[in-house]
Amino acid sequence: MPFGLSRRGTVWIAGLIVAANGFFPAVWILLTSLKTETELIRAPITYLPEAATLDNYATAFTAQPILRFMWNSFVVASLSTALCVLVSALAAYALTRLRLPHRNLIMSVLLAIAMFPLISLMVPLFKVMRELGLLNTYLALILPYAVLSMPVCTLVMASFFQDIPPDLEAAAMVDGCSRVGALFRVIIPLSAPGVFTAAILAFVNAWDEFLLALTMMNRVNMRTLSVGITLYQGEFAFPWPLISAALIIAIVPICILIALFQERVVGGLTQGGVKG
Amino acid sequence: MNTIPAAAADGRRPSGRDLSERALGALLLAPAALLLLVIVVYPIATLFWNSLHGVDNANPAAGEQFVGLKNYLTAFEDSRFWDSSLHTVLYILVTVPGALVVGLGLAMLANMPFRIKWPVRLGLLLPWALPLVFAGLIFRWFFEYNTGVVNDILRRFGVEPLQWLSDPNLAFAAISIAIVWKSSSFMALMLLAGLQTIPKSLYEAAEVDGATKWQQFVEITLPMLSPALFVALIFRTITAIQTFDIPYAMTGGGPGDSTETLAMYIHKTTLDFLDFGYGSALAALMFVLSMAATSGYLKYTRRSSGRSGED
Repeated sequence: MPFGLSRRGTVWIAGLIVAANGFFPAVWILLTSLKTETELIRAPITYLPEAATLDNYATAFTAQPILRFMWNSFVVASLSTALCVLVSALAAYALTRLRLPHRNLIMSVLLAIAMFPLISLMVPLFKVMRELGLLNTYLALILPYAVLSMPVCTLVMASFFQDIPPDLEAAAMVDGCSRVGALFRVIIPLSAPGVFTAAILAFVNAWDEFLLALTMMNRVNMRTLSVGITLYQGEFAFPWPLISAALIIAIVPICILIALFQERVVGGLTQGGVKG
Repeated sequence: MNTIPAAAADGRRPSGRDLSERALGALLLAPAALLLLVIVVYPIATLFWNSLHGVDNANPAAGEQFVGLKNYLTAFEDSRFWDSSLHTVLYILVTVPGALVVGLGLAMLANMPFRIKWPVRLGLLLPWALPLVFAGLIFRWFFEYNTGVVNDILRRFGVEPLQWLSDPNLAFAAISIAIVWKSSSFMALMLLAGLQTIPKSLYEAAEVDGATKWQQFVEITLPMLSPALFVALIFRTITAIQTFDIPYAMTGGGPGDSTETLAMYIHKTTLDFLDFGYGSALAALMFVLSMAATSGYLKYTRRSSGRSGED
C-alpha cells in the first residue's frame, strides 16, 4: 500500500475523500446559514459560526414566499412524474413485450428526440405556451418535464418489464384479463421497484430544472424553488447567510428523497444513463 | 446500455379476443408520440419557420415579416454570437475531460470494499441531485473576493487573493471548477457501474504475474472501462453544449460578456431583447450542432448494441 498505510486505512481515506467531495458545499452553506451578517464580513473569515443563530431561517420564510415556491415545485414535479411514468410504462410495455416491427428504431427516435437541447426547445415552446395562454400555469412546466424524463423512465421500466416471465402474463390472460389488464395487474405490480425508480428520477429531474421554469413562470407566486432561490439576492448585495438558509430549506426535501432511496437511484441512473 | 431487450412475448398466445399486437402497440405508443409531437416536434418545426422571420426596425408596427435567411446572415456577422459559441466550446474542452478525470478518480475510490456504503453513495448522489443553479450559487459564494473561502485559503498560504469573478480568465476558471464538481459525480456513478463488471480474477492474475498497480490500471481497467467511458463522455458533451445554469448563477455571463455561453445569449436575445426571429435562428444553429453530437452517440450505441455493453 502506498505511504505505508494499512489496507483498512486506505479504504477509510478513499471513503472520506468521496464523501467530503460530495458534502463540502452543503456543509459550508449550512455553516453560513447559522452566521450573522456582521460575522460574515469580518476578516479573517470564521469557519464555525461564533454565535449560531436561526434568524436567517426565519427571514428566509418571510423575505420570499419560499413555501409557495416549494408547493409549486411539488405540484409540478409530482404531476409531471405521474404523467411521465404512465406514458413511459405504456411505451416500455409495447417496446419490450409486443412483437413490433422497428422496435430499435422507435427507441432510437425516442432517445434522439429527448436529447434535443432544451434551449432550442425553450424558444419555440415559450411562443407556443404564450399563444395557448398557458404561461404562468403549472401545465406549462408539467408537459415539458414529462417529456424530459420520458427516455430514462422508459429505459428503466423496459429493463424491469423484460425480466417478467411471459407465462405469468399468459396465465393472467387465461384467467380472463385483457392484455392491458395484465399490464396493470401483473406487469406493473411485479416491476414496482422499476416503476418506483423511474418515478424518483423523473421527480428529481423536474425538481431541479431551471431554464424552462425561469422562462415559463414570470409571476413571483408561480416560481418554482430552483428559480425562487435566486430571488433572494439583491440587485447589488448578496445576503449570503439568508441565501444559504433558503438553499438549505430548498435542498432538504431532495436530500431526504435520495437518502431514503439511494440504492434505487444509483441503480436507475446507471441503468438509464440519461439525464437532461 | 440503451439496447432493446428482445421481445419476451412469443406470439403463441390466443389472439382474437385481444387487438392484434401491432394495433395494440400503436395504441400504447400513442400517448408518448402525442406528447413528443406537441412538446418537441411541433415547437422545433416552428423554430425553423420563426427563424426565417423578423421585425423590421423601420416599420415595427407590421409585426414579424418573412425575411428569408437574413437572421442567419446576421448571426455570421455577430461577434457576440461567435464569442458565446467560442466560450461554449471552451467550456466543453475544459470541463468534459476535467469531469471525466475527476469522475474516474471518484469511481476508483468509491469502488473500494467499504463496510458502510451509504456515506460514499450519498457523496456521489448529492452533487447529482443538487440543482445546477444551486451549485452555481454556492460556488459563487466560495469565490467571493472578500468573504469567500477560496481567497481565505489563499491568504492563509500568504498568496494574494484573486479577483475570481471579475477577471474574465479567472471567472472562466471558477465556472469550470463548479461545472466539473457538479458533473463529475454522475460521471463517477456511470463509471462505477462499469468498474463493477470487471472480473476480480483479471487483477488477481495480473498480481501473480507481478504487474504494478499502474500497469493493472493501464492494461486492465482502462480497456475494460472504455465502453462506459465513451458513453459517459458523449452524455457529458451533449449536456455541456447546453451550459446555462452555472454561469448564469455565478457571473450572469460577466464580466462584460466574457463568460456568456451560446445558451445564455439565446435566452437573452429571446426573453430580454424579445427578438424572436434572431433568437430562433441562433437556437436552430445550436440545434444542428447538438444533433450532430447526438447522432454520433446513437451511431456508436447501435454499433455496440451487439455486445453486452456496460449494463
